[in-house]
Amino acid sequence: MISLAGRDILHGWGKFVLTAIGLGLLIGVTLTMAGVYRGMVDDARALLVNSGADLWVVQQETQGPYAEASSLRDDVVRSVLGLPGVARAANVTYLTMQVTQGAHEVRAMVVGFESGQPGEPGHLLAGRHITRSHYEAVVDERTGFKLGQQIRIRRHDYTVVGMTRRMVSSGGDPMVFIPLPDAQQAQFLKDNDAILNERARTAANPALNRPGVPGLLDAVLAAQSSNHNVNAVLVQVQPGYRADEVAAPIRRWKHLEAYTRVQMEEILVAKLIATAARQIAMFLVILAFVSAAIVAFIIYTMTLGKIREIAVLKLIGTRNTTIAGMILQQALGLGLIGFIVGKVVATVWAPVFPKYVLLESGDALSGLLAVMLICALASTLAIRVALKVDPAEAIGG
Amino acid sequence: MTEPGIRIENLRKRYGSGDTAVDALKDVNMVVAPGEVVGLIGPSGSGKSTLLKCLGAVIEPTAGRMVLGGQTIYDDGWQIKDLRALRRDRIGFVFQAPHLIPFLDVTDNVALLPMLAGSPNREARARALELLQALDVAHRAQAQPSALSGGEQQRVSIARALANRPPVILADEPTAPLDSERALAVVRILNQMARQYDTAIIVVTHDEKIIPTFKRIYHIRDGRTVEEAGEGRALEPELSA
Amino acid sequence: MKRATPLSRRIGLLLMLLVLLAGMAYVALRSGPLAPTRVTVVQAASGSFAPSLFGIGTVEARRSVLIGPTAAGRVVRVLVDVGDRVKAGQLLAEMDPVDLDQRLAAQQAALARAGSTASAVQAQLRDTTARREMTRLATQRTIELGRQNFISTGAVEAKLQEQTSADAALSAAESNLAAARQDLQRLGAERDALQQQRDRLRLLAPADGLVISRDAEAGTTLVAGQPVLRLIDPSSLWIRTRLDQGRSAGLAVGLPAQIVMRANPGRALPGRLVRIEAVSDSITEERVAQVAFDALPPGVSVGELAEVTLQLAQTSPAIVLPNASLQRQGDRLGVWRLVDGSPSFVPVRIGQASLDGQVQVLEGLRSGDAVVVHSERALNAAMRVKVVPALAANTP
Repeated sequence: MISLAGRDILHGWGKFVLTAIGLGLLIGVTLTMAGVYRGMVDDARALLVNSGADLWVVQQETQGPYAEASSLRDDVVRSVLGLPGVARAANVTYLTMQVTQGAHEVRAMVVGFESGQPGEPGHLLAGRHITRSHYEAVVDERTGFKLGQQIRIRRHDYTVVGMTRRMVSSGGDPMVFIPLPDAQQAQFLKDNDAILNERARTAANPALNRPGVPGLLDAVLAAQSSNHNVNAVLVQVQPGYRADEVAAPIRRWKHLEAYTRVQMEEILVAKLIATAARQIAMFLVILAFVSAAIVAFIIYTMTLGKIREIAVLKLIGTRNTTIAGMILQQALGLGLIGFIVGKVVATVWAPVFPKYVLLESGDALSGLLAVMLICALASTLAIRVALKVDPAEAIGG
Repeated sequence: MTEPGIRIENLRKRYGSGDTAVDALKDVNMVVAPGEVVGLIGPSGSGKSTLLKCLGAVIEPTAGRMVLGGQTIYDDGWQIKDLRALRRDRIGFVFQAPHLIPFLDVTDNVALLPMLAGSPNREARARALELLQALDVAHRAQAQPSALSGGEQQRVSIARALANRPPVILADEPTAPLDSERALAVVRILNQMARQYDTAIIVVTHDEKIIPTFKRIYHIRDGRTVEEAGEGRALEPELSA
Repeated sequence: MKRATPLSRRIGLLLMLLVLLAGMAYVALRSGPLAPTRVTVVQAASGSFAPSLFGIGTVEARRSVLIGPTAAGRVVRVLVDVGDRVKAGQLLAEMDPVDLDQRLAAQQAALARAGSTASAVQAQLRDTTARREMTRLATQRTIELGRQNFISTGAVEAKLQEQTSADAALSAAESNLAAARQDLQRLGAERDALQQQRDRLRLLAPADGLVISRDAEAGTTLVAGQPVLRLIDPSSLWIRTRLDQGRSAGLAVGLPAQIVMRANPGRALPGRLVRIEAVSDSITEERVAQVAFDALPPGVSVGELAEVTLQLAQTSPAIVLPNASLQRQGDRLGVWRLVDGSPSFVPVRIGQASLDGQVQVLEGLRSGDAVVVHSERALNAAMRVKVVPALAANTP
């Protein structure tokens, strides 16, 4: 027995292929949406993995440092270092801000880190690690900056010495790593006008500007223009210790909050990404319906165009199941080719997206199954029409 | 009685019920021997199509008896369960328009029926080629139906009708769109095939060009048939496309 | 029998199918889990480099003086302004003497009066001296006459009595003179004291210098210790440099330095480390060193920022790698070596590092080992890798 579906497709292949491509683009969009969600989750995970930390110590009763603002004194790290089970601990600061290079401005997460400590970028895509104590930066390739360029963060210029890949914040902003003191200054110190304004206000305060105490005003101004805060302390746990074991005393005795990686992941994925995830899920459902409608419509139209042939086939003795099978096969073929087109197209255009799009094979497989199911269901409309055809119509009335 | 060919006795078909009932066929009687080609002539509305549909096991008659190829298929009720298989194996259809499947090539169009009946593809195609040769269209075996002339298409459709060696062929106005030369050619072929394969053929027509060729004619009027002797004019043994 | 649709159509469709399958294959191999991770490698080779230390500093003056009053008072006038060069001893400003001048005048008057008193006493002394002389002569004659019994004994005793009185009057006059002289001295000292106080209200430059700040104007009231002016020795400007404690190994006096001023980033000025401060900053974890210019450039101001690079001696030969190859696995520092094309982690011990990213590897590697420098993803031992010459287009 030959394949009626195959012959029909071969006969009208142009239309079929065009329809498959159209469907494929729609499927590609759907796969990309799923990829956007996966990319967001992966961004969060990448952020946690790349930091190299087992514990995040933040301000008490905050969910920082990524989901919420957190501020600690920078000498807290010393007392954390003394706790049992702590292999390494270091201060870090995070601030999302605009970084400019010439006329080109980029929104980036500026990370202040201590050299050789948790918080430093692990592997580099190009260039080298920071060696000077000031005014050097390692950037992620998504910023669009190149090695050797001068970039401006707040008041200072930094030379780009190294480049990374996939170092992004949970919101997808690329990271720029600079030495911790520079980052503290960038986070705290404002522009010149604001500084002068602040100085004038302090000088006008009689409690701080006492003529009988020379040097008091200078000391107060100096204290105001220095920053001794950081956003978090990253802790690496010694082998043989569990992160929870080390976190418990920090929470109890140090009036701080400590999160393990599992907890941080939950905070980021469950809370930060939750709204976006719901939106994407709704979008996926709508796309599924649209795809089903399109496939149904296409197959229905194709079937209607064959009503006469179907009547003849029925009259000369073709089984109903054979005819239904033909329509179903066409729908599934459309779906399969559309899926392949969609998967290829999604892979090709995924890197162009501003946010990271992660196309997982598991998603592709479920997508394939869903497409096949949708096509099968969508074909039922056309099958019903085909089955209702009266073979007597082939005999002219 | 089970003899080959077609036998129809007291066939009646009523549409509707009660006051709006209409008898499309009132009392139809026909006999066609194997190898014979008879004409069925009548004005429109006389019940020709209805009779064809009943014979083709597409609609159910109201009462009567139909015997096809020695098999009683209807006797005040269908005697056969699988009508579709009946159509496929025991009845060949030739339509006004060739009605070839456009997405199958000529050979597959003819081989389709044997394939549906379960023949392996190679055998089915071999038989199709045989028939195409007999009908002198074998040189078009690989072509798409749309590339054939009207006459060639009609010959292919005849080959299709013969593909499963049915004992009966029902032809519905097979020559209507053709000119006299081609019309006669079709009739010539039908006669030839009927003799060659021992098939009983009913040709429903009102084409004046071919009516003289029938040896026997059934007139149908108001749902009743009347047998008549035809002229039986001889046909030139010439086949042209 | 062969099947039937026209050959060209079949070929066309087959081609399209192939394209599609090729697309799927590309997708699977390039970006899915089957794709190998691309890395760049370098051969570990022996080498040496000249490490440097880096710090940020501000320009300061070695010596700076705050010119101000030693007691609370009001400024009367300020004679110099910012940027003026002054000489040692030059009058820079004056404080308000209040009543000091008047007190000085009063003291002067008292002194004059004391002088007059002394003169009067002086005259008195002369007078009593002359009288005593005269009495002495008369007494002598009387005594002579008494011996010759020309006058009575009583008269002689009376004359002797006169003599004694005259002597006494002379002593008294001498004592008065002494007292007047001492009074004069006392008043003189008091006057000198007031004068000194008055002098301190004139603020003089202690040495040659440059005025860098004028902190009070005429009429301002200052307390002791508040400055009116600040002076520096302009030839004594140096750079107070802060170096990261963790990256200051090898810091020593005499190291040559390259100084880049923030105001003139294109030029590197030569200098030398002249002093390392004994007290480091424990809060910022920095060491402080003073770096002097070899030749003080013109137009340098106090407080300007500079970047200082100190040159250390060349290291001894050892395996040298780019610092991008260093990675951490857990708490171990090491590199990824390619063994038969597969990555394996090797812990290393590192030595000195240079500012341009090279680092010495003292233990753990042999010359010729292939070491991963840059990679697309974080490596692990099970990964498939593919060596490429470069990973990112990075020319600006």
